[in-house]
Amino acid sequence: MSSEAEFHRPGRVRRLALLVVAVTYFGISGALVRAAENAAERILEGKKLFEGRCGFCHLPGGTGTIMLAGRLGKNRSLLAERTDLTAAYIRKVTRVGINGMPPHNRIELPDSELDLIVSYLTRPTSARTAEKAGSTGGAP
Amino acid sequence: MRLLLPPRVTEKSFHKALDAFASVVGKQWVLATDEDRETFMDFYAAGDADQHVPSAAVGPQSVEEVRAIVRIANEYKVPLWPVSRGKNLGYGAAAPCLTGTVVLDLGRMNKILDVNERFGYCLIEPGVGFFDLFDYLQANKIRLWMSVPANAWGSVAGNALERGYGYTPYGENTRNICGLEVVLPNGDLIRTGTGAMANSASWQLFKYGYGPSWDQLFVQSNFGVVTKMGLWLMPEPEATLGLNIQLPDPDDVGWAIDELAPLRMRGVIEQSPSIGNSLRFVATRSQRSEWYTGDGALPDDVLMEILKKNNLGWWTINLRLYGYDEVNQVHARIIKEAFARHTKQEMEVVKWHRGDPIENSGAGIPSTQVLQIINWRGGRGGHIGFSPVLPATSEHVLKQFRSTKKRYEEIGVDYYGSFTLFERYTTNVNMMVYDRDDKAMTSQVRALFKVLIADAAKQGYSEYRTHLSYMDDVALTFDFNNHALLRLNETLKDTLDPNGILAPGKQGIWPRALRTERA
Repeated sequence: MSSEAEFHRPGRVRRLALLVVAVTYFGISGALVRAAENAAERILEGKKLFEGRCGFCHLPGGTGTIMLAGRLGKNRSLLAERTDLTAAYIRKVTRVGINGMPPHNRIELPDSELDLIVSYLTRPTSARTAEKAGSTGGAP
Repeated sequence: MRLLLPPRVTEKSFHKALDAFASVVGKQWVLATDEDRETFMDFYAAGDADQHVPSAAVGPQSVEEVRAIVRIANEYKVPLWPVSRGKNLGYGAAAPCLTGTVVLDLGRMNKILDVNERFGYCLIEPGVGFFDLFDYLQANKIRLWMSVPANAWGSVAGNALERGYGYTPYGENTRNICGLEVVLPNGDLIRTGTGAMANSASWQLFKYGYGPSWDQLFVQSNFGVVTKMGLWLMPEPEATLGLNIQLPDPDDVGWAIDELAPLRMRGVIEQSPSIGNSLRFVATRSQRSEWYTGDGALPDDVLMEILKKNNLGWWTINLRLYGYDEVNQVHARIIKEAFARHTKQEMEVVKWHRGDPIENSGAGIPSTQVLQIINWRGGRGGHIGFSPVLPATSEHVLKQFRSTKKRYEEIGVDYYGSFTLFERYTTNVNMMVYDRDDKAMTSQVRALFKVLIADAAKQGYSEYRTHLSYMDDVALTFDFNNHALLRLNETLKDTLDPNGILAPGKQGIWPRALRTERA
């Protein structure tokens, strides 16, 4: 028994070590995947909110888009396509208003929802590329 | 914006009231930071935003929460300013009349409770916006059309309660109200019309109920907080036929009114056409500085040059017929004949049939594009409108048009006016667009507004709706028997709202304890 036990011990240790490594590896990986999925979900939620709450002015043809085209040029008129908007700037402009755009209060747009919209408008290039691929039926 | 307390309320008592509000709605929905106060101020104000500063805002989600808030407001004598969505742009937005008032923001109460296609109505909460209801009708393929105002960012119920209007045959929004649920200033809850029967089978069908009819007493008033509204919607017509024409001469508005008014009254035209000076189109597409950089009002010759370049007449008329195609054709012929008596110009015809894309139908489609006008003067723009109601005759319309335009020129503001024709009257919207950071310009606008109120009153013309800063001025023009109507309104106010907590000063109606605040 003892020899058998001794024989098996290193193996058990190895398996245990492998298990620990695997758990650690897949655990971190899982957290990363979950975080990425979470970020993707937040961007998607933010997109829905942006389109629902801001879209009537800030989608193509909207008043905000037209006014921004006049002020900054057509290539900077669609907020969802801008990459120069920082989270702090979006939050400030939304809360205090700018030029013709009135402020949005925290009852009509709570901070939690504004945060999601900010996630969408400041999404990384990878998310924008994926959107374009999806919208054009391009490469997976 | 720093905290400014309402009259009669100590800071300690105010904060106790806010804590009590928070115990009802949750802390998240009581907004009282400096930035929060800014978000409820009159963003487009012509230099008078500091006259109407809210102290806080509270956002209930249910009728019971509204009732609890109203009871607390009574306890602490904290005034409340109910807003449906707070988008009453050009009239004060979400800001209260009296500084220190707490905004009661009903935007979270945004349920579409019922839409009945067979009988053509909806039952909605105050937070439902025009875009929300439009999307709902479209998504559910419900063949009912809305009446939508030019700027449609706001609340469907709120607009009807302010007597806003749209451009379909159901254009007088307040007329379509059929049944309200209202929290009274003492926290009691009532339903108007037949809704006063707990099991009413016709709340959204029969407006009047039994005995006095109360719906209109909650319109442009401060007698209650409307928490549900029944509103009639228009059945989708089989076809529509639009007729557009440009009239070259300023005086053309006279004969146009005389020709159109009888047709409107007889139902040949069922919607309310707008006869507007074409600057409204120019102002949405360009800025003044592109055409003219001088001071004072835009000179006539410059305007004529702008209109010529854009192929526009002095006035633009867009009218539309709704119903069976054959009937529309006959009515179109009658209208064209009327115009042919005065002009050789052909009317542009736009036809729509059920099943065609809705964009060209003349249905009420929400948009905010009209807000582009505020860019006209450059800088951070704003707008305000003076809108008297006149008899629909050339005599009244021409006199009013000439005298108003002259006032604009004397004070140095670009004339921007329109006449919307209803069955027996016309609403003359006179828009003033300004750079709200230009103190000289905004003070000119305020001066012009006051002069126009006085001029109109001399002619017996009242405003249909007004900005916060002029509610007392307009109320005082209703002077029959030494302001007997105001006495009645305030007698009612004191009876229903003895603590004076609901919207003090709205439409010039002040509660006894705050009458010294009257402007």
